[in-house]
Amino acid sequence: MRRFVPLLLAGIILLILQTTWLSFFPIPRIRPDLLLIFTLYLAFFFRPFLGGILAFFMGYLMDLFSGNTLGVYTFSRTLVFFATQFLKERFYLEGFFFQFLFAFIFGILEGGLLFVLIHGLEPVSFENLYLSLFTFLLPQSFCTGLAAPFLFFLFKKAASLLFHRPEQGIKARGRA
Amino acid sequence: MWIRDFFLSRRHRLFIFIILLLLFSLVLMSLRAKQKKGVEFFDALLMEICSPLQKAATLTIQTVQGTFRKYVFLVNLESENRMLKQKIAELQEENNRTKEMKLAMERLKQLHQFREKNSLSMIGAEVIGQDPSSWFKSVTIDKGERDGVKKGMAVISAAGVIGQILKTASHYATVLLITDYNSAIDSIVQRTRAKAIVEGKGANRCQLKYLLRTEEVVVGDAVVTSGLAGNFPKGLMVGEIKKVDKKGHGVFQYAELVPSVDLTRLEEVFVVMEPIPPPPPPKEEKIKKGKKIKK
Repeated sequence: MRRFVPLLLAGIILLILQTTWLSFFPIPRIRPDLLLIFTLYLAFFFRPFLGGILAFFMGYLMDLFSGNTLGVYTFSRTLVFFATQFLKERFYLEGFFFQFLFAFIFGILEGGLLFVLIHGLEPVSFENLYLSLFTFLLPQSFCTGLAAPFLFFLFKKAASLLFHRPEQGIKARGRA
Repeated sequence: MWIRDFFLSRRHRLFIFIILLLLFSLVLMSLRAKQKKGVEFFDALLMEICSPLQKAATLTIQTVQGTFRKYVFLVNLESENRMLKQKIAELQEENNRTKEMKLAMERLKQLHQFREKNSLSMIGAEVIGQDPSSWFKSVTIDKGERDGVKKGMAVISAAGVIGQILKTASHYATVLLITDYNSAIDSIVQRTRAKAIVEGKGANRCQLKYLLRTEEVVVGDAVVTSGLAGNFPKGLMVGEIKKVDKKGHGVFQYAELVPSVDLTRLEEVFVVMEPIPPPPPPKEEKIKKGKKIKK
């Protein structure tokens, strides 16, 4: 609980930044997805139970504050979290290039999943969605990738200040 | 016995947790997709908690921006420019109304009827947040159920249509913009009176659906609301046609329009409070229904 509340608050603050300050970006539709970076960070450095519930909740908040009536983010963020949890045993989240690439690829993969879900659940024309892939998904994932190393650094710093054992997921590796 | 062991094992517990969490999110998604609503009480509660923070964040950035604009960059020019832009928007709206009035007169409609239709009760609301996702198009406003805002109400500005209320909490509401994939508005082309449905196209564009191929529509034609379907008052500017494509075959033609309002820079909006009564069904249908009941 001591870990859950600060992380939850951090998530809410990031959501608010994403819906307010980032919308003042020069290109309105292309902005980094702070909550995706946060979900990836949670997956790498926190345990599956705590991080899983947080990722689920972050997705739920995304759905609540968006014009999305389907609830696709609750599912996609939870899935992204567990996919990263699965992969974290094989990678080290170190270095600018790897962190950029990791966030970029997950941005694209989540976009692909959303594309399939939206197309499958609602009668949205394929042409409109297909255009969106190029006009904003690629540049937005690129932006997310660029912001990821900086935010990972900030999250790590904040976690080391807040928690006694900040990288719980890494330390528990192999024992879970 | 093995079932107990399975559930007690740490590895399996984690596996079950993952499955349960994913299943739960799928159930939520299915609920939302079928009923177009989530966990309403929980949604409203979360919105009430998060929206004041959103409002504070928006206020902070607006104050900082305002200070820079007014005192650092350009002393008086910014306020003058804003005033002139407002004036232009007002004049455009006035111009649009005049055109509508003229056409209404031509069709033997009285002026007071037109005024009655447009003198709706509205409340002003401030935009306090944008959509966190780029896939969907919505904004959060600082008026909710306590102010009389209800799901489905029309949201407009001086320059035209913005969207409609999608979700409500006590003091806040989410507005689905006309550019969202899920948005559809019954409209008419102002010059030709051709009927069509304006649907969101994702980016800052909409498309005209079910526009008959026989209708003569050209680039630059204004599209206004038809007043049908109960949400939007008649004659409000929706946008301007930017592309017309009469494809090789089919009953309908394709047209793309740009909304009259810049939906990426929304600050203040109006929520139309009076529900527009739906048009009465044709007499024949009424008679048929009456007969069915009698049977």
